[in-house]
Amino acid sequence: MKILFAEDEHDLRDVVTAYLELQGHTVTAVENGQQALRAAMSDAFDAILMDVMMPVMDGLTAMRAIRESGNTMPALFLTAKGEVSDRVEGLDAGADDYLTKPFALEELNARLRALDRRRRDYRVRVLSFGSLQLDTEASELRARNAIGLSQKEVRLLCCLLSNTDRYISADELLREVWPGESAGEETVIMYISFLGDKMKSIQADAFIEADRERGFRLREVQNV
Amino acid sequence: MASIYGEYGPALRKVMNRLTSELESFNLAHTREHGESLYDHLSGRIKDEESMREKLRRRGLEESTRCALRDIQDAVGIRVVCRFIDDVYETVRLIRGIPGCTVVLEKDYIRNAKENGYRSYHIILEAETDEPDPEGRTPGRFFAEIQLRTIAMDTWAALEHELKYKKDLGNMALVGQELRRCANELAACDVSMQTLRRIIRGPEAPGKVNAV
Repeated sequence: MKILFAEDEHDLRDVVTAYLELQGHTVTAVENGQQALRAAMSDAFDAILMDVMMPVMDGLTAMRAIRESGNTMPALFLTAKGEVSDRVEGLDAGADDYLTKPFALEELNARLRALDRRRRDYRVRVLSFGSLQLDTEASELRARNAIGLSQKEVRLLCCLLSNTDRYISADELLREVWPGESAGEETVIMYISFLGDKMKSIQADAFIEADRERGFRLREVQNV
Repeated sequence: MASIYGEYGPALRKVMNRLTSELESFNLAHTREHGESLYDHLSGRIKDEESMREKLRRRGLEESTRCALRDIQDAVGIRVVCRFIDDVYETVRLIRGIPGCTVVLEKDYIRNAKENGYRSYHIILEAETDEPDPEGRTPGRFFAEIQLRTIAMDTWAALEHELKYKKDLGNMALVGQELRRCANELAACDVSMQTLRRIIRGPEAPGKVNAV
């Protein structure tokens, strides 16, 4: 992993950097929040490891600024023992996890691996059901043929694909696909029709079952 | 050089004209009944001499009238361009019922698009005409190929056809890949417009989406 590491105590900085490099990571070590912010803006990292208390700019301020810039890389805070408020503020500022000092280096490495694993899990590119394959990155639906999907259709199908064991109500779909938009049940029904016809046009062996009471659910067609 | 079609040129034109007027009468009846046409436009052609000879050579066949009329099945070609996918299938249904014609083969490249993204519906017919055919049968029987597609598919096919004759393009793979993406996006539009037309027209729609 390529890691950005901000820590003002240089003994600790050197030890951790040496250890992480030994574990096969690439480390960019900086001394304060301002330098961390600058590095995060000019380079891409797989994770950031940051102390809270630092001169010039503290870790919390730097973390907020990094998140405000749209950067979603996994972040881990290093906090002083017993400082509950540090941990709470750190997580609220946009960190994904924290470690209290003093910490074991093995644990640090394990937490970094865990963050990396989660990040990868979130980036599922292709979802499938029967012969149906949804490529979320290309916004394309494939079975016998391929067909393009709109962003709303992709999100709607994602909801259906991740809940194939139950019905999803129109209200639930409105919350997931049209959050904060003035869309109603009619919109949901229209988009369900769009998706259904597209599935049929590529000869998918699945269809969307619509139940007035319970909602919508993906079903496999038998013997196509 | 003698025509590859020998003395059968007029018979081929007759077949083409007959099929064209059958399609035109379907269109008239459909317009009377539904207030809108079945297709946007229609065109017919007799495959030109050089393309026919080239196709025979490519298939390793003898350059003879018999091969041109019996082994190759698109000497007569008709293209029907519709506005909606449902109209394509409705036209196909009507074509199957043309008297004196037998459907030899149907290929649905709309539901089974080709790898490059090509979409169309192809029907090969054997059509009867009062003229004799190369086998001496009267009425004679001649093949004709009808291709049906939407306006979007037609536009796409025109562009893809252009690409076929541009072998010197450096970024061929990229152009092909993007063309395929366009085909999938156009198909998405065709299907969505079909859905919308059904919703606009359907009396119980848009509630009627059970098992779509």
